[in-house]
Amino acid sequence: MMGPILAIAKTTVGEAIRRRVLLVILMIGVLLLSIIPSLGVLTARQEKAVMISTMFAVLRATSALIAIILTIYMIPNEIERRTIYTILSKPVQRWQFLVGKYLGAVFALFIMIAMMSAVMIILYKVFHNPDMASLLDVAKQPINYFMEMSLLSALSIFISTFAPPLVNFFLSFGLWGVGTVLNPLYDSVAQNSGTGPIMKGVATIATKVLPNFAQYDIKNPIINPETIIENPQMYTIYITGYAIVYITFLLIGGMLIFEKREV
Amino acid sequence: MGAAIEIQKLTKVYKSRLAGEVKVVNELDLVVEEGEIFGFLGPNGAGKTTTIKMLLGIIYPSYGEAYVLGKEIGDIEVHRRISYVPERPYYYEHMTGLELLMFYASLFGINDREKCIKLLEKVNLAGDMSKTISQYSKGMQQRVGLAQSLLNDPGLLFLDEPTGGLDPIAHTEIRDLILQFRDEGRTVFISSHELSEVERICDRVAIIHKGVLVRQGKLDDLLRGGRVEVIADGVSKEVGADAKEFGDSIVSYHDGRLIADVPEDHDLNALIDGIRTSGGKIQSIIPRRKRLEDLFVEAVRGDK
Amino acid sequence: MRLKRSQLLVTLLFLFGVQGALQSVIFPLWKKNYAPVKQSKDGFVSDSLSPDQIILQLFGFREFLSGILWVRADGFFDSGNYDAVLPMIRLCTVLDPRQIDIFSTGMWHIAYNFTDEEQRSDRRYVASALALGKEGAAQNPDTYEIFFETGWIWFHKIDDEYHNSVKWFELAHQRADMQAGRRNLLSNAYQRNNQLDEALDLYIKLLAKANDAAKANPKEHMLQTMRDTVEGNLDTMIVRLVQRGTLAQRRGDYAGGQYDTNPPFDVGFSARVTVENPRVIRVEGTWNVASIGTRVRIVLRDKDMEGGKLAELDWDARDAVDLEPSRDVTFMQDQLFVKNRRFKKLIDMSKDPTMYPFSETKKNYVVEFYYNPRSAPPHIQDKFGFNGEGFTDSNFLRTDVRKDFVYDLSQKDSKGKYSVDPKLVEGKTSQRVMYYAMDLTREQLLRRGQWSMDGGQTPILTTKNFDPKKVITVDEVIAVPTLRGQEGHGNIEEKKK
Repeated sequence: MMGPILAIAKTTVGEAIRRRVLLVILMIGVLLLSIIPSLGVLTARQEKAVMISTMFAVLRATSALIAIILTIYMIPNEIERRTIYTILSKPVQRWQFLVGKYLGAVFALFIMIAMMSAVMIILYKVFHNPDMASLLDVAKQPINYFMEMSLLSALSIFISTFAPPLVNFFLSFGLWGVGTVLNPLYDSVAQNSGTGPIMKGVATIATKVLPNFAQYDIKNPIINPETIIENPQMYTIYITGYAIVYITFLLIGGMLIFEKREV
Repeated sequence: MGAAIEIQKLTKVYKSRLAGEVKVVNELDLVVEEGEIFGFLGPNGAGKTTTIKMLLGIIYPSYGEAYVLGKEIGDIEVHRRISYVPERPYYYEHMTGLELLMFYASLFGINDREKCIKLLEKVNLAGDMSKTISQYSKGMQQRVGLAQSLLNDPGLLFLDEPTGGLDPIAHTEIRDLILQFRDEGRTVFISSHELSEVERICDRVAIIHKGVLVRQGKLDDLLRGGRVEVIADGVSKEVGADAKEFGDSIVSYHDGRLIADVPEDHDLNALIDGIRTSGGKIQSIIPRRKRLEDLFVEAVRGDK
Repeated sequence: MRLKRSQLLVTLLFLFGVQGALQSVIFPLWKKNYAPVKQSKDGFVSDSLSPDQIILQLFGFREFLSGILWVRADGFFDSGNYDAVLPMIRLCTVLDPRQIDIFSTGMWHIAYNFTDEEQRSDRRYVASALALGKEGAAQNPDTYEIFFETGWIWFHKIDDEYHNSVKWFELAHQRADMQAGRRNLLSNAYQRNNQLDEALDLYIKLLAKANDAAKANPKEHMLQTMRDTVEGNLDTMIVRLVQRGTLAQRRGDYAGGQYDTNPPFDVGFSARVTVENPRVIRVEGTWNVASIGTRVRIVLRDKDMEGGKLAELDWDARDAVDLEPSRDVTFMQDQLFVKNRRFKKLIDMSKDPTMYPFSETKKNYVVEFYYNPRSAPPHIQDKFGFNGEGFTDSNFLRTDVRKDFVYDLSQKDSKGKYSVDPKLVEGKTSQRVMYYAMDLTREQLLRRGQWSMDGGQTPILTTKNFDPKKVITVDEVIAVPTLRGQEGHGNIEEKKK
C-alpha cells in the first residue's frame, strides 16, 4: 500500500525541486533574507527583534508562495501531460496517487524551507552572534511554518481536485490570508462590545471552520525573549494535532472528490 | 480462447453547455479475443481514447458494461495484468530511462533493476538508459513507454496511437515490437487513426466513428469484397462481350486482349472457363484486395 | 484497499469536529502567549495604515512596519512636529506591542513634550501617557521596564499621590530583570509615601544582595560601586531618621529632644495674583524658606472640573490611550521658584489657546497654590521632616487635602503573580500641605466687561496676609544646605545684599 505512495512522493520531490518557478521564488526569498540585516537601521534597540521578525515574515510569505505554486499545478499537470494515465493504469488507487503527490509536496517544501531557514540562521549568527539557546529558539519558528505550509499545501491540493490552477491560486492565497488573521480577527470581534451577535457568530464559525494559520506564528516569544511562556510543549502538541487532523480532513475530502473526478 | 475485452452497450455522455448532451461513445459493443492484435480505428475525436479510458477505469461510463480480462472495469486488480501507453505521453523529464522504469516498476511493488535493464534492451534503449528523458527523441520516448508497459508482463496492452508523430524508421521499430508482443502471447489493443501500420499487423479491427461502431471483424473478412483483374490474349469477340455483362465489371477488349476488372465475389471461374474454351490465353489473374483505407473511408462515409 | 465512501464521509465529519474542538483549546493559549496584540483595537490598525501597509502587517511584517514608522516618527521628533508623532506612537505600539522603547519614549514624549514654554507642559496629556504605560505593561508583563517607566511618570512628572509610584516601582521590582541600580528608586518612593519601614527594609535587602554580588565578583568594579551606593543610601536614611526625629517620635521622646524638625517652621505663605493682560497673570508672594530648592505649585484650572482634584488632575482617569485630551479643559500647572523668601512669576497663557482654551462654557476658574513637603529636596526635608512634621503655615496648612494611601501589594492573582490592579487602602496618616485657592472668573482672566483693558479694573486677588513690601524688600540670601542644620530654618546665611 505504501510502496506506490512513496514512489510517487519521491518522483514528485524530484520534479518539484527542479521546477524553475519554485527555484526563482526560492532565490528571491533567500535574496530578501540576505538584505534584511541591512534594514537594522530601522530601529535603535530592537534591531535584533525587527531583523528576526522580518526574516520570519519573508520566510513565511516565500514558503506560502512556494507551497501554493508547488501544489496547484501538481494534479492538473499530471492530467495535461497524461502521466496520470500511465500511473492510474497501474495498480495504483487514486487516493494513493493523491497522498503520494501530497507527501512529495511536503518533502519538497521541507527541503526548501530548510534551505531558507539555514540561510536565515546563518545570517542571524553572523550579524548578532547569538548563543546556542537563542539560535535554537529562532529555529522553532521555521518548524512551525513548515507545519503551516503542510496544511496550506493540503488545502491547495484539496482545491486542485476540483478547481483549475488559477482559481486555486487565488482561493488558496485568500484562505491563507484569512487564516493568518483569523485569530486576531476573532479576538477583536469577540472583544469588541459593539459587534452584533450575527457578526460574532460568523467570526466564531469562520474561526472554527476555516483552516487556521495564525496559530503557527509563534514569533512573539522568540523575538521577545523576556516573555515567559507557560507550557509551550502543550501548545506545540495541540497545533501539531490540529495540523494532522485538518490535513487528514482535507486529504480525505480531496480523495472523495478525486475518486469521482474524470481525468 | 476467451475474450480479453468484452464491451456491451458502453456509453459515455458528456454534457456540453452549447450542444447539450453529447454521446462521445454510443452503445459500443466490442469483443477483443485473447492473443490478437486488435485495431481500434477511427478519425480523431471518434471516441477511441474515451473508450480506452473507460476500460482503464480512469473515467466512468454513463451506462453499459465492460469487462477486461474477465473482470468488471474499475477493478484495480486487473491493472496488475494490463498496461497502457497513452498517446504522446510525457514522462518525468528529470529521470533517466532506467530511473523511469524503476519508478513505474515500484508502482507494482517491483524492485528489479535487472528486469528494467532487460526491458530497455528489448526496446533498443540499452545504450541510452542513463540519459534523461528530456534527451530522448520522440521515438525513444515511445519505446521507453513500451518498455514501461511490459514491466508487469501484461496479458493485455493498450496502445493509444503508438506510432503517432514518429518518423518512418521509428514506425517500423514500434511495429516490430508490437508484433513481438503478439508472439509472446499478449493481447494488444491498438487505437489509431493511421491505417497503414495497423493494416499490416492487426488481426481484427473495429472502426468507430462519432462514438458509434461502424465495422468490426477480422481484417480478412472486412477487406473481402475486393476485385480481380484478369488479363488474357486471343480472346474471342463473344467472350469479350460476355465479360462485359458480368455485373459491375470494367472490361476493355481490343484486338483479342481482354482486361477485365471484376468483383471478387463474382463467378470468376465462369469467366476463366469462357476465355479458355474460346482458345484465349490467360496472361495474369491478379486479385486486388480492398485496402483498409478504402474500408475506413467507406465506413466513415457510409455513416454520414 | 477499496475505500467506502460512506465510511470516509463519517470520518470526514468526525475530523471536522475534532479540528473545531482543537481550535477551541488552541485559541486561548495562542491569545495568552502568542498574540501580537493583546487587546482589541477596534479596527485601529486598519484605519490608520495605508493599504500596502495593511498587507504588510497582515503577512507578518508587523515589527518591520513598526520599525519603519518609528524611524519616521523620529524624524518628526527632530523637526518638532510633535502632533504627527502621537498617532505614530500609537500605531507602532499597536503593530509591535513588544517595542518597549516606543512605549517608554512615547510615554515620555506625551507626558513631557507638549509645552507652551520651557517648563510648562500640557498636563492634560499625562493621563494618556499613563494609559500608554498601563497598556505597555500589560503587553510586556515579563519585563520590568514599562512598569518602571510608568512609575517614573508618577514619581517625577506628577510628583504627587506617591502611592502610585510605589505601586508601579513595586511591580517593576518584582520583575527579575530590573537593574539593581534602579531598585533604589522604590525606596525613595516609599519615603515620599511615608512608608519609612518599607523604605529602610528595602535598602537593607538591597545591600545584602549587593554585598553578595560584590563578593561573588570581587574584580567587578561596577558591583563594588553599586554596593557602596546602596550602603551610602542606607547610611543617609538612618542618619535622617535620627536627625529628623522620626525615631524619637516612635520612641515617644521627640518632644524633649533637639531635632531640626522641632518646632515646626512656619513658611508664612502669602500671594497676590494680578491679571495683567488677557490670559496673562502675574503671581507674587512670600515663602520664608531661605534655602534654594523650594518650588510652590501653582494651578489655574476650570473650577467645576470633572473628576478634578485639589491642585491636580485625575491623572489615572484613563485606561485606553486617547491622544485627544478634552480640548475644552483648561489646566495650567507651573512651579513658583522661591528665591530670597519670595517668588515672582509672569504666567503667559495667551500663546497657546489649544492648551488653555478658557472655554466659553466654563465661567469660573480657580488659582491654587500647593506645597507638599514630601516633594521637597532632602536638604529642605531635613527641616520639614519625612511627613512634613517640621512644616507649618499659620494661615494655609491643610491636612485634609491629601490623604495617605497604600496599595495592598500582597495580593496575587490566580497565577501567583502580583496583581497589576491592587486594592487601594486608605492610610492612617494624612499629609501636611500648604493649600490655598482663589476664585477667578472668565471675564477677569480674559479682561472683558468691567475688567476690560480699556479703562476697566485690573483684577487683583490676594491672600489676606499679603504684604506688598515683603515682596519687594526681602534680603537676598544664598543658603548652603547642610544635613545638620543649626537653627531657624537650618541654614548658614552667608551673604546679604
